[in-house]
Amino acid sequence: MTQILVVEDEQHIADGLRFNLEAEGYQVQVVETGEAALELLQPPAAKFDLVVLDVMLPGKDGFEVMSELRQAHQYVLTLMLTARGHPEDILNGFAAGADDYLTKPFELSILIAHIRGLLRRREWLRASPDNPPAKPEPTDSFTFGDKSVHFDLLELRVRDKIFPLTLMEANLLRYLLQHEGRPISRKAMLEEVWGLHEDTDTRAIDNFVVRLRRYIEDEPARPRHLLTVRGVGYRFVAVPAAEQ
Amino acid sequence: MAGRRKSIAFYIAFGIGLISVIIILYVGWVLLSWSHGVLLTILGILLLVIIISGVVLNTISLVREIHRNEQKDAFINAVTHELKTPVASIRLYLETLQTRAVDEEKRKEFYRIMLEDNDRLLATIEQILRTGRMGAAGRKLNLVRIDLASLVEECMARTRALHSIPPESLSFRTGPPVSIMGDLEEVRAAVSNLIENAVKYSGKDVSVQVETEQLDGHVLVRVKDAGVGIPKNELKRVFKRFHRVPGPLASRVKGTGLGLYIVRSVAKRHGGRAWAESEGAGRGSTFFLQLPVAK
Repeated sequence: MTQILVVEDEQHIADGLRFNLEAEGYQVQVVETGEAALELLQPPAAKFDLVVLDVMLPGKDGFEVMSELRQAHQYVLTLMLTARGHPEDILNGFAAGADDYLTKPFELSILIAHIRGLLRRREWLRASPDNPPAKPEPTDSFTFGDKSVHFDLLELRVRDKIFPLTLMEANLLRYLLQHEGRPISRKAMLEEVWGLHEDTDTRAIDNFVVRLRRYIEDEPARPRHLLTVRGVGYRFVAVPAAEQ
Repeated sequence: MAGRRKSIAFYIAFGIGLISVIIILYVGWVLLSWSHGVLLTILGILLLVIIISGVVLNTISLVREIHRNEQKDAFINAVTHELKTPVASIRLYLETLQTRAVDEEKRKEFYRIMLEDNDRLLATIEQILRTGRMGAAGRKLNLVRIDLASLVEECMARTRALHSIPPESLSFRTGPPVSIMGDLEEVRAAVSNLIENAVKYSGKDVSVQVETEQLDGHVLVRVKDAGVGIPKNELKRVFKRFHRVPGPLASRVKGTGLGLYIVRSVAKRHGGRAWAESEGAGRGSTFFLQLPVAK
């Protein structure tokens, strides 16, 4: 049975979520604080399939909980749910490592669709019949230089090192690879990758780029693959000019 | 937050740097032109003091402005949360009732939850509107004779009903009947805020005593709780607009930072005062509201 952890200190909302998620056939546990959630989610505990995480929590807030989880290599699917709906808040949530983000008030059916979508994606990744789970062969991957991205495993391999990617990092990387060689504006990334259409300070994307550079560049300060295009955005180059 | 602290540090460092440069330049000038006489030196010192105090004042007001902005941001976050959470909850339950088969018992529970959320929303809106009215200059008090004991009883009954508290957890002791001249709406808001706060910050074991007492020309409402308490250095600040005690103990309780500001404003407008006492964090607190007796 699919297990969902709800981290929410507003009792009414927590109870409402529990009722609806249980009606959908999920098993639900509710905790009120980020600290309690961190304790329950200590790796390698893989009890929960998905976490619904509120931002405005007493003590540690949702953003802190999210980044601590990811730093501790806990990559459980996480949907952040919060009253803070500024584009910067949403991007902060994704930057902290969230897989998805919804703002309150939310539509019940949309929330459930998001949860189903996240779980389905994970099932697809797990259950390719010709890929034995012990050592799956990547089917959806891209190689450049000595690096390879495995979108189905959410992994980036650089020589013998493996970096786990969050869903959003993988999506951004995929988008950059699809437009290889062409400059892409920050606005386009925001719209196509995050689905945000608001006029916003799009600088928050830069945080993602900094992280991706840390993974894929030998010298992140002097990028060769993920280049800045001044006044526009970024450009991905699979084979840097000097090597051509 | 970190960015703000950085800019405060920057402005202070900048101010100190500027003052040091001025002093060095001035000392240099004095050493070079000592021969021109004492009068010029004294005039120079006077000018120097004026310039330095200008720089200091400027730095102080910049830092204050940053601090004020920080509080406003915190307030907007708190209000966003306080307004959106009940709306989100009501919507969640309405959609649940609309889309799912819910048995009679659950249905009643959902209605009760929605009514509570509705009350919470209304209370937040009233708090904000009241703060706005307090700020507006020239609004006159609508003075009437108020029987304090029955007003306190009324506020207590509402709080008991709202939080389902047994009578022994929220008790009232009063002396001989006292009347005050006041604006009924405002005094009720102030007393009710104090009682609400005492319950809100008590945690699970509510034990709140309310007392009224007459002391030469004044009447004192005393609300004593055994809750989270207040650190000494926060006792005055809690009455400031938007201020909320930092730290995990008090932030477990949600609020807008307006309640005690309203209490203090009401007290002042009625010629009284409001203050708090506490033995420190975790040791309960007592709030006092002092108002002049009706003649």
